[in-house]
Amino acid sequence: MILGNPWVHGGVVGFVVVNFLMVTFAWSVWFERKFAGRMQNRPGPTEVGPFGLLQPIADLLKLLQKQDIVPDGADRALFNLAPPIGAILILASAAALPFGPGLVAADLDVGVLFALSITSLMVIPVWMAGWASNNKYALLGAMRAAAQAVSFEVPLLLSAMVPIVLAGSFSIADIVAAQSGYAWFALWPPGPGLVAFVLFFLTSLAEANRIPFDIPEAESELVAGVTTEYTGMKFGLFYLAEYVHTLVASLLATVLFLGGWEGPFVDGPHWMIAKALGLYAFIFWVRWTLLRYRADQFMALCWKVLVPTSLATLVAAALWKHLS
Amino acid sequence: MSIDLSHFDLVAENDIVVVPVDKLVDVATYLRGQGFEYFVYCCAAHYPASESEPDRALVEYRLRRLPAEDVALRLWIPSSDACPSLAGLWQAADWQEREQFDLVGVRFAGHPDLRRIMLPEDWPGHPLRRDYAIDTRHFPWR
Amino acid sequence: MAVGHGHLPEPVAALIRARAAVPNPHLDVESYDPEGDLLVLNLGPQHPSTHGVLRVKLYLDGEVCIKAVPYLGYLHRGVEKLCEKLTYVQITPIVDKNDYVAAFSNELAINMGFETLLGVEPPPRAQHIRALGAEMQRVASHLLWIGTFGLDMGGALGGGATLFMHTFRERESILDCFEVLTGSRFHYNTLQVGGCRHDIPAGWETLVRQTFATISARIEEYESFVRTNAIFLARTRGVGVVDAELALSLGVSGPVLRASGVDYDLRRDRPYGLYRELKVNVATASAGDCQARFEVRLAEMRESIRLVNLLLDGVPEGPINVLKAVKLPGTVKPKPGIGYAAIESPRGELGTWVVADGSDKPYRCKIRGPSLHALSLLPYLAPGQNLSDIIVTLGSLDPIMGEVDR
Repeated sequence: MILGNPWVHGGVVGFVVVNFLMVTFAWSVWFERKFAGRMQNRPGPTEVGPFGLLQPIADLLKLLQKQDIVPDGADRALFNLAPPIGAILILASAAALPFGPGLVAADLDVGVLFALSITSLMVIPVWMAGWASNNKYALLGAMRAAAQAVSFEVPLLLSAMVPIVLAGSFSIADIVAAQSGYAWFALWPPGPGLVAFVLFFLTSLAEANRIPFDIPEAESELVAGVTTEYTGMKFGLFYLAEYVHTLVASLLATVLFLGGWEGPFVDGPHWMIAKALGLYAFIFWVRWTLLRYRADQFMALCWKVLVPTSLATLVAAALWKHLS
Repeated sequence: MSIDLSHFDLVAENDIVVVPVDKLVDVATYLRGQGFEYFVYCCAAHYPASESEPDRALVEYRLRRLPAEDVALRLWIPSSDACPSLAGLWQAADWQEREQFDLVGVRFAGHPDLRRIMLPEDWPGHPLRRDYAIDTRHFPWR
Repeated sequence: MAVGHGHLPEPVAALIRARAAVPNPHLDVESYDPEGDLLVLNLGPQHPSTHGVLRVKLYLDGEVCIKAVPYLGYLHRGVEKLCEKLTYVQITPIVDKNDYVAAFSNELAINMGFETLLGVEPPPRAQHIRALGAEMQRVASHLLWIGTFGLDMGGALGGGATLFMHTFRERESILDCFEVLTGSRFHYNTLQVGGCRHDIPAGWETLVRQTFATISARIEEYESFVRTNAIFLARTRGVGVVDAELALSLGVSGPVLRASGVDYDLRRDRPYGLYRELKVNVATASAGDCQARFEVRLAEMRESIRLVNLLLDGVPEGPINVLKAVKLPGTVKPKPGIGYAAIESPRGELGTWVVADGSDKPYRCKIRGPSLHALSLLPYLAPGQNLSDIIVTLGSLDPIMGEVDR
């Protein structure tokens, strides 16, 4: 603990982490648009600021100026509550994420479980929004999101159990410590670690509704899924929740499988952030390359492939731990 | 190359057969059995009443036996009468006849679902009739 | 058969029933579902993937469709009525807007209909320009289709958009060739009764050859996409299988029919214009699903590129219009009669049925568009399908609403 009082420490580190996430979100949107543009033979944003770098600010101003529409027949309370709940939940999940030794808002014994359970609560605001919108597309999207969350929790948690078993602790700090000396769980033990990393990453994509698993949004079918009726900053909050969710998933994958803040020269938060942003950029690459699965194919993939594989990986990791 | 329809007392001339209204379904059923599976179109044109003829419509069905053997069934339907529908024989006739009903105002007897297809349900008149002037204002811009 | 809560022991049974039932586009929803438990979803007319302004009323049991009712006419502009009020020469720019992604084919079809009535045949140079334009337009149209099909599966914010942008890059280069030839990119107004309006400019041949050499190399990329992309195959294989007999009965033509195993192409089987001398290889597939339709269209693009290169070799010198160059509209007056002429447009049989009464305007002009017939497959294909598959199936039929509604 850097600052003596846990409240002061938590407050200061939490403030920094939340702002880091928000700022990264804003400029990752710029990066994604640039990146997608280059993939598609177009320049991406160029007008606002040098290289379009002020585009996120323009986007924000635009969202703030939009008319706030609540559709007729919508459940006003639920409709208005859903976006802030989503944003708060997803930012809260970062509380247990350490960025360096002691650099954590709340160093919990069960940090992994805390982060995963808070992110999986995201289905609640999504369902609230879908139900309250009084829109069939939103309702179908919310139903898909709920089905998806229920299914993908299982392989997500099972694959997250692998580093927990290998490190023998639920605390993220202990898990990172167990990977010191470049014994990253994605590389060592060979086999179960890497498989678990891939599974964790895939299921995180599904939890965060990213292509190829973005069936709750599926805008060619469901217009915009749960966000169909949302305008302005309420839509912006859902958008923020989705991107921060992806970012949190990348950070979690980094601490669980890629050795956290360990790296050449000087260990520290910069390595942690660099690795996480690398994964984050990889997600953008996947998003702008792949098509989308159909809902039933994707459930079949989850229950027939991902769940058995993650169970087998967990058993293999336990055996490794037992034998070594 | 023309199909032999002599047992219906009809002569095909350059693929075109002028069919009396009461024989249409029989001829069409026969042709369907002869392998005319492909339904090309159903068209209608409106002819207003003149000194010699009453108000009537020309309806033409074109059917094809692959690869390239066509037969066009041409009928004259008085406005007081309905044309027999071929929707039971070729599924394409369903929408094609609806379109001709909608635009030209020909009624098709025995059609399963004779509604307007292009224009709104409450549109008055049939725009492709010759008495429906293009340069006067019509609903909903009246 | 009821699907209400009281009668429904398990949703799976309803799903199997719906799949096994013979698709009936006139299904009586009232008696099928007396309690009104089906979700009625209006897909369109403002929906990202209804290819314009199609509206389909879907009766959904969960996400499985029980009945689909297309509502047309949101883009009805009364083209056929306009044709009655315009002279034969003035009609060409109007029909450009029918099938707005393949305007050249529209012009060809309508002018061939008028030429049938007049009994004139364009000179060889005009025939060459027409065939060249039609084949180039076919490639451009199929490129657009591949892009929008990607959008249907990947969304405008995903991999589909990347595919879309890439196919549009190629399509743009073809439109540039058209711009050099005719002066405009989409709506050319370049064909006339009896021939063409614009002659081939100097250097055009080289431009077209270069463009199609590039496209020819890039089609390989799309080919690898359809062969190796697991998600693409999962979404298209066995989805929206079109029965050949039903397709014929519905008057479906073009790639959709050929993908169902019917070896039929008007360019070969009812040759018109230059195709009487040209040998066209017709691509077919037997599966009848969305993947087969994709492969047929890819093969057609290859064949069209081959034809373009072949046609560029032998463009004869000579006039481009048999009639005197029509300076003033209203000079063409066919004898009274009824004529029908059809061409193979990128979407299938595009025909024109014209009734002439001896004046300079057609008495009645009907445009037989292939998109309307392809779209009429949807009520037969959608029942039993998942909502996601309906979108893909609809996209694979390639309906252009401008041509459906006219």
